[in-house]
Amino acid sequence: MVRTLEPFEYYEPTSIKEASDLLQSFGEKARIIAGGVDLLARMRRREITPDALVSIKFIPGLDFVEEADGQLRIGALASIRSVELSKVVQEAYPLLYEAVHSIHSIQVKNTGTLIGNLCIATPASDIAAALIALDAKVKIAGPSGERTVPLEEFYLGVRKTVLQPGEFVTEVMVPRPSSEAKGAFLKLVRNATDIAKVNVAVLLTVKNGVCEDARVVLGSVAPVIFRAKKAEEALKGKSLDEKVAVEAAAAAAEEAKPITDIRSTAEYRREMSRVLTLRAIRRIMEG
Amino acid sequence: MKKREKTRIRLIVNGEPYEVEVEPHKTLLEVLRDDLNLTGTKGSCGVGECGTCTVLVDGKPMLSCLTLAITVRDRNITTIEGLAKDSKLHILQKIFLEKGAVQCGFCTPSMLLTAKALLDENPNPTRQEVIDYLSGVLCRCTGYVKIVDAVLAAAEEIRRRGSEYAEE
Amino acid sequence: MQRSEELRWVGKYIPPLKMEGIPKVTGAAKYTIDVKLPGMLIGKVLRSPYPHAKIKRIDTSKAEKLPGVKAVITFKDIPKVKYTSSFRDLPMATSRRLQPPDQYVLTDKARYVGDPVAAVSAVDAETAEEALKLIEVEYEPLPAVFTIDDALKPDAPQIHDHAKGNIAAQVKYPFAAGDVEKAFQEADVVVEDTFMTLRQVGAHLEPQCVTALVEPTGKVKIWSPNQLPFPCRREIAKIFGLPESMVEIITPFVGGSFGTRLSMYNEPIAVALAMKTPGRPVKIEYTKEEDFSNLETRTASRITVKMGFKKDGTLIAMQMKVLTWAGAYAARAYLAGPIALMWGMGHYRCPNRDGECTVVYTNTTPAGAMRGYGNVAASCAVEQVMDEAAEKLGIDPVELRLKNLKRPGDDSNLGPCPIESTYEDECIKIGAERIGWWEKRKLKKAEGPRRRGLGMAAMMHCSGAWPLLIEHSNAIIKFNEDGTVNLIINPAFPGTHIWTTLAQIAAEELGIKPEDVRIVTGSTDVAMFDLGSHASRSTYVTGNAVLEAAREAKWQLLERAAKMLGVTPEELDVKDSRVFLKADPSKGLTVEEVARNTIWNLEGEAQNISGKASWSSKYCSPPTAAYFVEVEVDTETGEVKVLKVVVVVDCGRVINPNAVEGQIHGGIAQGIGYALCEDFVINQKTGAVESNNYNLYRIPTTVDMPKDIEVIFINKPDPKGPFGAKGVGEPALVGIPAAIANAIYDAVGIRIKDFPITPEKILKALKEKQSA
Repeated sequence: MVRTLEPFEYYEPTSIKEASDLLQSFGEKARIIAGGVDLLARMRRREITPDALVSIKFIPGLDFVEEADGQLRIGALASIRSVELSKVVQEAYPLLYEAVHSIHSIQVKNTGTLIGNLCIATPASDIAAALIALDAKVKIAGPSGERTVPLEEFYLGVRKTVLQPGEFVTEVMVPRPSSEAKGAFLKLVRNATDIAKVNVAVLLTVKNGVCEDARVVLGSVAPVIFRAKKAEEALKGKSLDEKVAVEAAAAAAEEAKPITDIRSTAEYRREMSRVLTLRAIRRIMEG
Repeated sequence: MKKREKTRIRLIVNGEPYEVEVEPHKTLLEVLRDDLNLTGTKGSCGVGECGTCTVLVDGKPMLSCLTLAITVRDRNITTIEGLAKDSKLHILQKIFLEKGAVQCGFCTPSMLLTAKALLDENPNPTRQEVIDYLSGVLCRCTGYVKIVDAVLAAAEEIRRRGSEYAEE
Repeated sequence: MQRSEELRWVGKYIPPLKMEGIPKVTGAAKYTIDVKLPGMLIGKVLRSPYPHAKIKRIDTSKAEKLPGVKAVITFKDIPKVKYTSSFRDLPMATSRRLQPPDQYVLTDKARYVGDPVAAVSAVDAETAEEALKLIEVEYEPLPAVFTIDDALKPDAPQIHDHAKGNIAAQVKYPFAAGDVEKAFQEADVVVEDTFMTLRQVGAHLEPQCVTALVEPTGKVKIWSPNQLPFPCRREIAKIFGLPESMVEIITPFVGGSFGTRLSMYNEPIAVALAMKTPGRPVKIEYTKEEDFSNLETRTASRITVKMGFKKDGTLIAMQMKVLTWAGAYAARAYLAGPIALMWGMGHYRCPNRDGECTVVYTNTTPAGAMRGYGNVAASCAVEQVMDEAAEKLGIDPVELRLKNLKRPGDDSNLGPCPIESTYEDECIKIGAERIGWWEKRKLKKAEGPRRRGLGMAAMMHCSGAWPLLIEHSNAIIKFNEDGTVNLIINPAFPGTHIWTTLAQIAAEELGIKPEDVRIVTGSTDVAMFDLGSHASRSTYVTGNAVLEAAREAKWQLLERAAKMLGVTPEELDVKDSRVFLKADPSKGLTVEEVARNTIWNLEGEAQNISGKASWSSKYCSPPTAAYFVEVEVDTETGEVKVLKVVVVVDCGRVINPNAVEGQIHGGIAQGIGYALCEDFVINQKTGAVESNNYNLYRIPTTVDMPKDIEVIFINKPDPKGPFGAKGVGEPALVGIPAAIANAIYDAVGIRIKDFPITPEKILKALKEKQSA
């Protein structure tokens, strides 16, 4: 049957400061829990056995998905589903919507939080890939106050972030893309509900057929999700056509550092970085 | 071994309040099955992949094996035992049986609750919408075809009757 | 044999009996995981972390002292009786070949990662887990082998003392015929190819959970999902030195089995623990990780098939060499490996045949049976070689099958026993027409990156495994005063609608309604012997026992009614729960009136109307099927989409179409999983199963199913099946993987020789094809 968890101490802070102080006092021995989907699964497998859990579920003012001053703000307790259902996300942040929508399970989307998904720090996160392409930033609360970090710089490695003891992410902010920005999110999976073998988020700002700005973000093909800068350079300032797309896609594949694991091979992932980048750019070109 | 302490909480399950003493590491699934003897909710993978442990929390399908019981105190929880009203089967339950959507029955509670949540949100779903909404619940017996058929047929009957319950 | 129009219940869409359906949809159904008994303890198993190791020392003293721990057992505490999880000496086999037992309840030498080394029972799960941590085991790791090839190397470590060279068995095809070498020389076209089939995992959703209780009399009660309760009882009795009647197997509702639960797993361990705490039940619930790592997978084999044809397509020679990948214990791989020879070479007419199978031990999870029991593996190889031959011969694959099919009266695949009925030719012809075989295969292939293809496979299975294995079932029917009957049977309960099917059979014969048939089942104390649920036997074998029992009960009913009406029984019939005079139907009595009057009879002639039957199969009524699949291959990503599936099944007269369709749909899903995305992965360094939960072992979801699925029944009665029915549980899946593989070849000219056929393999092969 479902294995019972090992017992732990449990805390329910009612303010961000209280949470941060608790986390700092426990250091490595405590974990923060919001939705708990990833955390409890890992605890169930005994990959980690924290002495204490600090639940932020009862801190008021963290469950929101709203737009203000030209940017989307998502709070730490917003479920993935609430982001998916948000009208403003569907209408003004379609790239984020595509990524969220590509996660199939309603149960996972209701139980898990979007920020929780980001903080797993897996290079396969669909949501993180889309948000990096959208130049998202995360607000981090901690013992020495608040700081803001671009999501692109948030990840240091597999399951490694810039978070220091006592710190946690309270919000993610996404600037509203311009009307000329068009995006495409693609991924390949073994079957429908699996974690991506390769995922790609491309956002191109195109004026009169010329690509003024480009974000080409590759996931699952390196220890962290990264922007394929050479691919972006191959697109910036160019008139978008098949030849340019093919060059950019090839450049993206070269930057990938994929591995072979249970889901796929390094060889396949590298080739698919190229194919998905190409298909994403083509989709954007088709409008 | 770590010390073990219980906290008294109130869980509202299928409209009824229950007072239970729970340890923080106990999941909603365990408390429902072991403390409240509501064994209709099943468990399987334990890691969020199979959807077998689905219950509705405030009407939303969630994973009870990855939810600490203490965190859903005072929320409205619906389990499979709460789907029928008195002895009247919900139309979903009736049609699942009529359409052959139940084989071993292990995924049935999760499929039914997830379908109920879908129809509450969207009383007239397309086939693809049903397929997408149920994609988080695994079934190894049916190949899903009759389950999807049953949800669509149930949706139609509910709209036709204007009621969710079958007459006895 | 009645015509369909004459039948009242057989052939009708009937929902599951209320006694089964309502508990399942309301959450009231109690499964093995729901068993809760007073004083119950939780048991947990300590498993070897090494794939191969001597156990030098075990110290359980600290674990025993932990408060809340009630028993700790190791090798020294278990009976020194070797058994096999597949039920030792196969008293079921007509060959009387004994399967050498090779495992103990808890092992003295670790032979795979997960091999049970110790077990504890405690007041709760947390304490049991803590106790496991306190057991100290000193291992001496030994070199380990994970693949067939490594296990067969001359310097390979010996896994079992009795198996030199790690060979668990070497079996020759028992129905060899003619002169194969000569025939190959005479053949116009010879094709040979080798395929590696898949260690598919049953992956049923309910974890393996067993509860055992030793009563004050010494009687052992076991709540188990095992599919063969009577053989299981026999095996437990042997291990623990008890007479069979002192062991009772109780079967609650079970969340899927698919053949995995033919074998025993935690039953003996739970009993061994329970014996330490008589009166206190011990429940061992496996986690899903334990399921994936310890339950027998489908047996995989490397199969080489060689077939020789005349240029008109007549098959004249066939040879199969099977190398079976068994795990650390022979388990059910012992039979599931070699039986592939029978399925493979027993499918088509072929006068010259021979073959052999070598079953090889490796330090991996034991392999056993899953739906199809070797026929999926055989089909994966043979049906692809058939297509390869068709290409070489310049004959259409459909025509090549039609040319070589067996006919009624030919020997069955499981031995020299004449086939009672087969409509495989109709299955193939109808399937080809429904998928548009002729038109679509004539079309020129598309130019773009997405290519479509059509593939097919055909198969013949069995309704029960006679003459290879005993096929014995019993049924008892007793009337209640209210005119309903209790049907006392014991097929195990995997969820295949067998209760409803058997109720339909009984109701049809007795002239009552299926809802008036109350199934009493789930205990080896109450029901008479039934072999259990395997080999697609329940409808055919148990169904025939039910039919005969119903005939006897009906006769008693008519005799008593005749007495009450002052006529002879021959003048009466019964329909819709009413006994009536054939010559004047207005005259009669309700079944209830007769039943009530005979039980509460005040004339000194009281009787409880009943019927009972033992049925033992001496017949072969193999179900047949044809599978047609249309796929689309994305040549840039290698991804395969299954667009359309047509399955045409000859399972005799279909008793419950709804139930059978459901079986086929489920089989299609498992077949697609086998072909495209399920993969049992063993870490080649540690020997641990990497694919140890649903997140890593991918079974199809709603989104993965093809949009277009058509299931067609031939629905022609078999002479020996109950109301003409044949089995169908396994045929549902058998040919799907081969059909998909053949369709991929049609689409892109690539044949991947192992499973699953992943996009990675397709893309690699496409690139190699391009550069060649």
